[in-house]
Amino acid sequence: MTSFLQYTIFGIILGAGFAIAATGLVVTYTTSGVFNFAHGAVGMIAAFSYWELVANHHVPVVLALVIILLIGAPIAGALVERVLMRRLHGATAERPIMVTLGLLVILTGVATIVWSPKNQYQLSPIVSGSFRQVSINLQYQQVLTIGIAIALVIGLRFLFSSTRTGVGLRAVVDDPGLLAMSGASPDAMSQYGWILGFVMAALAGVLLALTQEQTGISIVAMTLLVVNGYAAAIVGRLKNIPVTFIAAIVIGLLEDYIIYYALPHLSQGLNSDITLALPMVFLFIALVMLPSVRLRAVGRLSTVRVPRMPSGKESLLGGVAFFVLAVIASVVLSSAVVRGTNLLNLGGEIMALGIVGLSLVLLTGYSGQVSLCQFSFMGIGAFLMGKVAGGGSLLGLVAAALVCAVLGALVALPTLRLRALYFALATFAFADAVDQGFFQDSRVFGGGINVGRIVLPGLSFGGNRSEFLLLSAFFVLVALLVLTIRRSLFGRRLVAMSDSPAAYATVGLNLAVTKVAVFAIAAALAGIAGGLYATVNGTVGSSDFDFFSGIIFVLFVTVWSIRTVSGAFLAAVTFVVLTTFWSTGLGLVAGAGIILIGRAASGILGIDRLSTLLPLPWVKRASGGGDSGTLAGIGITPMGGEARVAG
Amino acid sequence: MSPVDEPRLASEPNGGGLPALTVSQVSVSFGGVSALTDVNLVVPPGTVTGLIGPNGAGKTTLFNVISGLQEPDRGAIHFFDTDVTMMKPYRRARLGLARTFQRLELFGTLTAGENVQVGLESTVKWWQWRHLRKALWRNSGAESARGDSTAVDALVGSDALAVTTPDRLLAEVGLGGMSNEQANAMPTGLARTVELARGLAIGPKLLLLDEPGSGLDEAESQALGTLLVRLASTGMAVLLVEHDMELVMRICDRILVLDFGHVIATGTPEAIRSDPTVQAAYLGAGSTSGGTQ
Repeated sequence: MTSFLQYTIFGIILGAGFAIAATGLVVTYTTSGVFNFAHGAVGMIAAFSYWELVANHHVPVVLALVIILLIGAPIAGALVERVLMRRLHGATAERPIMVTLGLLVILTGVATIVWSPKNQYQLSPIVSGSFRQVSINLQYQQVLTIGIAIALVIGLRFLFSSTRTGVGLRAVVDDPGLLAMSGASPDAMSQYGWILGFVMAALAGVLLALTQEQTGISIVAMTLLVVNGYAAAIVGRLKNIPVTFIAAIVIGLLEDYIIYYALPHLSQGLNSDITLALPMVFLFIALVMLPSVRLRAVGRLSTVRVPRMPSGKESLLGGVAFFVLAVIASVVLSSAVVRGTNLLNLGGEIMALGIVGLSLVLLTGYSGQVSLCQFSFMGIGAFLMGKVAGGGSLLGLVAAALVCAVLGALVALPTLRLRALYFALATFAFADAVDQGFFQDSRVFGGGINVGRIVLPGLSFGGNRSEFLLLSAFFVLVALLVLTIRRSLFGRRLVAMSDSPAAYATVGLNLAVTKVAVFAIAAALAGIAGGLYATVNGTVGSSDFDFFSGIIFVLFVTVWSIRTVSGAFLAAVTFVVLTTFWSTGLGLVAGAGIILIGRAASGILGIDRLSTLLPLPWVKRASGGGDSGTLAGIGITPMGGEARVAG
Repeated sequence: MSPVDEPRLASEPNGGGLPALTVSQVSVSFGGVSALTDVNLVVPPGTVTGLIGPNGAGKTTLFNVISGLQEPDRGAIHFFDTDVTMMKPYRRARLGLARTFQRLELFGTLTAGENVQVGLESTVKWWQWRHLRKALWRNSGAESARGDSTAVDALVGSDALAVTTPDRLLAEVGLGGMSNEQANAMPTGLARTVELARGLAIGPKLLLLDEPGSGLDEAESQALGTLLVRLASTGMAVLLVEHDMELVMRICDRILVLDFGHVIATGTPEAIRSDPTVQAAYLGAGSTSGGTQ
């Protein structure tokens, strides 16, 4: 009984930390309409800043908290709102997803440079000491966390329901124009919201960091610790603070009970996998339990100027020309070595990643479904390629395609009734759960699994040149397939579904079937890409498909152009080149790219004018308030006149 | 198309069988605010029924309930003899229920022709080889349906219009030669007409039109009236929400008036025009012209 009580209290303490994180998310969403994927990263930066000040420079705790919570976080929040978010007002939900993901990878990138992951970062409690109650030792720090969580919930509830400022903060999302007519400044209200959100993220980061007393804090763990808050915020439908608080406490309790009661009965490996994947599992369950979203006629026409679709003949000629160039490159670069890697092998990686990019063109570019888990399917494909028929067999590719297609359908099925943000969150949860619970398991990739080169009857692809050409041929074939799909009846349906789901349904088309089909096809393509990727260097490991790399790659495809084959290829080139020469800067470049490109309709390949890229405060939004493009969230924004430079 | 010469004031709508649409005691509320209260409505085949009322009266909500985008709190919707109250929108469309939207819901990044083509192909199974084969060589767009009218005719299965390819269907609604225009680049009036053509493409038995005349000039409005009357003459039931009273009074067989979610009057255009309740609530007290808006 005592241990149950102890676990219950610890669960409540854990949940209180999640509650602070979750209410911060709700505050940001309520006041801006944006789900801040960088919320955890902001908390992580705050936690490391706290370590820097208190542990490294011996700044008094109170002064450190003042610097972080009352100076640093508000300034950062105000800047993010002013420079990045204000120009997104009126955009559909997808667009801020990409921008906040960009912010996420920038912050983690900066943190990696400033605080080397090789070092240990230990923190001491803000208030030390403990007391004993009902045979349980409670630390004052833990009581403080619970007290802060409760005070925040009560305070925020009061702010939003009983004060003029709070009503203004909520109203700015519903109708900024109407708010302005009442004499309040929508921009100022929005900025207050972001300031409040950042302060709460920072507070959650510091308090959650203090719960990591034994293990120390790490960049990835701190960034993802907030994911438990995601699940609670989703249960509260991103607007109800008391429900969010209760959900966070319940999740804290559940996590504690599972860890202490259920997991000890499992094997050590499985125990570890489940512990790591639990936050994402909770998030996925929370998403699945959400009620179906009602189809709405939004009454907004996509204003995206689409790239011209090449005819079948043009596509084929382009494919042949690409392959001829690949043959020439294979001859010229056959013996070139960069950083110990044959250049043709890097080329092979580019081709394989290019296929993942093509899967995103199909899924996100054409059908508007934001997926953050294509690298998960890629990793599963690589794993199967190494295990099926002894590795390096075409059967492995077939298995990769089939298994990933089925998995893709299974991920899509329970979540396809949700709106874009929740769908993206579901893929986010799936990607991290697969990474933490499967890829990181030493029994899966271990130190890396060996995958032989593909062998066909009478043909050997053992040499680097033939391997490169094989992967180039695969890239060309998949590119032709994607373009063919776009020209087909199915392709028209994908674009139609993206442009107006309500109209799509009312002309007699089944949204669910189309979504599952395109998700399964895209997953199969990513699985094939993973299988091919595995054959390039002969070995693959979990780090090849980690969660953050997957997000960064999505951002690169968006930056170049998620609607074109060229965009997919150039994203792969950028990713491989940066990974080879400046892996630390991978997230920084992707994040900066997405923030800059957020203004341009079809990525870099669709830029009309350089000025459209500048996220400067004096670069005004077009009349109409932002982007009405249904693919806006993936960086596809109205072209030709959205941005105007004042003066 | 030529303007309608005589008003259609049919007091006895054609079609002696089942009504195309029967709305029974439908109520909808949003967070305690009642949007529709016990609404009853019957739309016989081969007629144009007008649905009028001030802004916020509940007209679009009723359209959403009929087309399946909004679930009613209570009441029932019958499409001929089929209870469609809980049916998903795409299933209703497959039965022959098409609609347009008050605020445009076009497939904006597709061309006008492709918009119509999506409607024409709505019952086609995309994985069939004959459709994939076309995509191998042809460019995307309306061209792919040209010269294949037999197949498309079979798909449409409608005797409402003798047009079955995107180009021909667009021409029929007055948009000849505009098949390759990107929908989101078209003026509002034309875009509304594309939406109408897309609705017709599924071969509807019941057509719900939410302010189709908005953004049209007088000549275009006349042509729209002619088209709707022609559609009704083929047996199609048309339910029309429209603020252009001249158009409504001219082409509708019956009119239903909504106010604050309640049906306050039903009847022929003449009866509605002279109904004091309607005049007070909608047209304005003292007005008898019916020519407002």
